[in-house]
Amino acid sequence: MKNIGNLKEFACTPDRFQGGHRLCPGCAHGMIVREVVNATEDDLVISTATGCLEVCTAIYPYTSWDVSWLHIGFENAAAGISGAEAMYKALSRKNRSYNEDKKVKFVAFGGDGGTYDIGFQSLSGATERGHDFLYVCLDNEGYMNTGGQRSSSTPIGAHTTTSPRGRVSYGEKNRKKDLTMIMAAHGCPYVATAVPGSKHWKDLAQKAAKALSTVGPTFINALSPCTTEWKFKPQDTVEIADLAVETCMFPLYEIEDGHKLTITYKPKQKLPVEEYLSRQGRFSHLFKPENSWVIEEIQKEVDRYWEYLQRKEEAGV
Amino acid sequence: MAEKYQLKSKEVWDGNMAASHALRQAQVDVVAAYPITPSTPIVQNYAQFLADGYIDGEFVMVESEHSAMSACVGAAAAGGRVATATSSQGYALMVEVLYQASGMRLPIVMTVVNRALASPLNIHGDHGDLYLGRDAGWIHLIANNPQEAYDITLCAFKIAEDQRVRLPVTTNQDGFLVSHTAQVVEPLQDEDAYKFIGEYKSLNPMLDTKNPQTYGAQTEEEWHFEFKATQHKALMESTSVIDEVFAAYEKLTGRRYSRVETYKLEDAEIALVLMGSAYETAMVAVDKAREEGIKVGLLMPRTFRPFPYNEVAEKLKNIKAIAALDRSAPMGAMGALFNEVSGALLANGQSAIMTNYIYGLGGRDTTAEHILEVIKETDKNKEAKKRVTDLQGFINLRGPKLSFN
Amino acid sequence: MATPKEMMSTWDKIQFGAILPSFENPEKKLKSKFNSFNYKVADWRVEKPVFNRELCIDCDFCWVSCPDSCFLVEEVENKRGKKQAKIVGINYDLCKGCGVCVDVCPTPIKSLLMFPEFTEIDEALNQWPTKDNK
Repeated sequence: MKNIGNLKEFACTPDRFQGGHRLCPGCAHGMIVREVVNATEDDLVISTATGCLEVCTAIYPYTSWDVSWLHIGFENAAAGISGAEAMYKALSRKNRSYNEDKKVKFVAFGGDGGTYDIGFQSLSGATERGHDFLYVCLDNEGYMNTGGQRSSSTPIGAHTTTSPRGRVSYGEKNRKKDLTMIMAAHGCPYVATAVPGSKHWKDLAQKAAKALSTVGPTFINALSPCTTEWKFKPQDTVEIADLAVETCMFPLYEIEDGHKLTITYKPKQKLPVEEYLSRQGRFSHLFKPENSWVIEEIQKEVDRYWEYLQRKEEAGV
Repeated sequence: MAEKYQLKSKEVWDGNMAASHALRQAQVDVVAAYPITPSTPIVQNYAQFLADGYIDGEFVMVESEHSAMSACVGAAAAGGRVATATSSQGYALMVEVLYQASGMRLPIVMTVVNRALASPLNIHGDHGDLYLGRDAGWIHLIANNPQEAYDITLCAFKIAEDQRVRLPVTTNQDGFLVSHTAQVVEPLQDEDAYKFIGEYKSLNPMLDTKNPQTYGAQTEEEWHFEFKATQHKALMESTSVIDEVFAAYEKLTGRRYSRVETYKLEDAEIALVLMGSAYETAMVAVDKAREEGIKVGLLMPRTFRPFPYNEVAEKLKNIKAIAALDRSAPMGAMGALFNEVSGALLANGQSAIMTNYIYGLGGRDTTAEHILEVIKETDKNKEAKKRVTDLQGFINLRGPKLSFN
Repeated sequence: MATPKEMMSTWDKIQFGAILPSFENPEKKLKSKFNSFNYKVADWRVEKPVFNRELCIDCDFCWVSCPDSCFLVEEVENKRGKKQAKIVGINYDLCKGCGVCVDVCPTPIKSLLMFPEFTEIDEALNQWPTKDNK
C-alpha cells in the first residue's frame, strides 16, 4: 500500500491523468481521478463507463490517460474490468504475463448514472464474483453529461431537466439511493465515501490507497459537485464538497468486510443543510415559502442518517 | 498445465459438445459466458472441463449476456484469447457490445446456437439471431452439423486472430437440430488442434502496462466514417485469410471447407440457396429431384459475412431459376439470402428468376418433401422462363396458403 | 506537437481500431502526439490564475484541487532531507481558468489570484494586494 504521507510528498507523484481533457472548468471528476490514480505506485488498467469522464478524456485523437484505459458502454464498466482482470489472472497462471516485474491494479470509473442506474447490474455481478478491482463512482447526482437529467442518485428536492421545478413541482420527489450501503451489503472487503479537494484530500487518497491494496472488489462513492448542473460558480467546487460533508448531506465513512463502519470525519459542529442547499441553483426553489417543508424533510433525513451512522459505528457490528 | 483430454479418433458428440471441445483445445485464456437454451450445454461442458482439470484459463460466469460480451471485450483488449457462446435473446442483449468488440478490432470467437427471437417466446432453432447480428461487423461462419461445428470453431480462432483480420467471429449452428443431435465427429488430438490454431499473438494489449493504450475513444463526424470504412475493409478482405485457413485445415484433416459450398451445382439449371442444417435435408431432396430428371443444385454461403458476392454470382451464372430459403422472419421485406443473392447476380450483370421461401421458424420441421416441393416450383419457373410461382412463400405453414407478390 | 487539424488524416492512415497509445516512447515516457497533454484548452479561459511564488507556502492545496493537472511541480529536499513538492508555475496550455486554485489558496494574502486573460504576468504581480490592501 502506498504511504500517502503529507501533501508535500504526495504532490511529488507524477500525474498519470493528464490535462488537456475537455471536462468543464472546475469539474470535480478531474480532482477525484487524479487522486485515485496517484494513490498507488502499481500499474493500472482502467475501465470507464460512458459519461462525462469518458467523453472528455478520450476524444479522438487525444487521450488523457497515461495508463491502460478502456471504454465500452454506459452499463458495463464493471463487466469490462472484470474481463481484463480475469485475463491478468489467466496469463499469470500460464506464465504469459506482459510485465512480470510489475503488479497491475484494476479500476473502474462510472458516474452515478453508470453506477447507481444502468450499470448497477454489472457492478453487482462483478462484485459478487469477487474480482480484484476498485470501482469508483463519480457521483454528481444526475445524468450531467447529457444536460442534467435525474438519476436514482439525485437527492430529493433537486431540480433536474427530468424532475424539474415548476408551478406544482418542488423538483425530484424520491430520496437518493443509498448505494454505498448496498455495496457494503455485497460483503465487499472495503467500501467508502469520499469528496474531492484540499480539505479532505488525504481522506480520499488514503481510502483509494487502501482500496487498491485490498484484495477483492472494493468501492468508493465520491461526491463530485457539478458546477454546470448544480449551478454554482466553477471556483466553488471544493467549497461545495466541503459543505456537503459539514452539513452531513454526504458523510465521510468507510465500511470494512461489509459491516465494520468507521466515520472518517466528524464535523465539529454539524451545519444546517441550508448552508449547502442555498449555494446551489438546483435547490434555489426550495427557499420559496411553499417549499420550506422540503428543506425540513431533508434536514430530518440527514439527522436521522447521521445518527444511524454514529450508532452503527459505536455498535461495531 | 491443463490435463490432456483422451479423445478417440471418432467421438459421438452433439454440436454443443463439439464446440465445447474446440474451445477447450484452443486453450482459451478467458471464457466469459451466461447460459441460455440451446447453447447452455457449451457453458456447462466447459465448466465441467474446468472442474476436471482440463482447462487452465479463466472461466467467468457473469450475470447476463451483456456482461458476458463486455467481459469478453475487456479480456480481449487486455490481450489474450477469448471466447463465449450464446443464443437468441442472449445474443439480442449482447448486440450493443458486438459492435464495440468489432469496432475495437478484438478477435473474440463466439459460438451462436441459433434460436428464434421472441415474442412469442420460442427456444428452437431459426436464424433470427444470426440475422440480427448481420451488420455488427463480425465474421459469421455457418456450420451444418456437429463435425462442422467443431472444425469451423477451430478455424474461427485462426481467422479472428490473424493480424491481417483482427475481427471477432461467430460460428453458427442450428439450435437443437445441430446443437442437441449427436453424430459421429472426428476430432483432432489436443496438441494437433492447438498447433493448428497457434499461440495467441497480441496487438496493443492493455496488460502491457508499460506501453499504455486507450481503447474505446470517441470519434465524431470528423473521424467516425474513416474508422467504419477501414473496419468494413478488414471484413471484406478477410476472405483471403479465410481461404488460407480453410486450405490449411484441409491439409491437416482432409476436410474441405469453402466460403461458398455447393452440391450438384455444376450441371444444374435451377438452384436453392440456404444455410444451416436444412442444407443437408435439401441434399436428400436434390437427389430425389434428380431421380425425377430435375437438374437442381444447392448453394450455401459458408461465410454469411463477409458475403461472398462474386463467388456466389460465379457459381450461379448458368442457373435459370433460384429459390432463396431464409430461416428468419423477413418482417416487411424479402429474406436476407434472397436480397444478397439477387444483388450478387445483378452486380455481375447476371439474372435468374428469383423466389424467396421462409421456412423453419421457431424450429418448425422442414422435411425433404417440403424442399422437393420448392424444387418443383422453381423448376416451373425455369420451364416457363418467367416467374409463375409466388415471389415469397412459406414452407410448412399451417392454414390457407400465405404468399406475397 | 501536431494540432487536431494537422492530425486529420485519411482512412488508410488512422490508428488501428481507434486505439491510442499514450506514449511515443514508453521507455522514456515520451508522450505521444495523441496525449491530451499536447492539446490546448487555453482558449476556454476568460480569466487566468497568476501565481505569486513570493507568497507561496507550498501547501500544495492548488495542486491537489486542480482538475486539469496544471500545476508545475519541482521535487526539492526539505531541511530534513525529505523530498517535497515545490510549486513553480502553471501550465497555461492546460488551465481552463476555473479558479479553484485561488479559492483553496490559504495564505493570508493569496499567492494565487485571478486576472483578466490578457494581463501580463509582471503587471499582475505589480498589482498584487499588500497586507493593508488585500
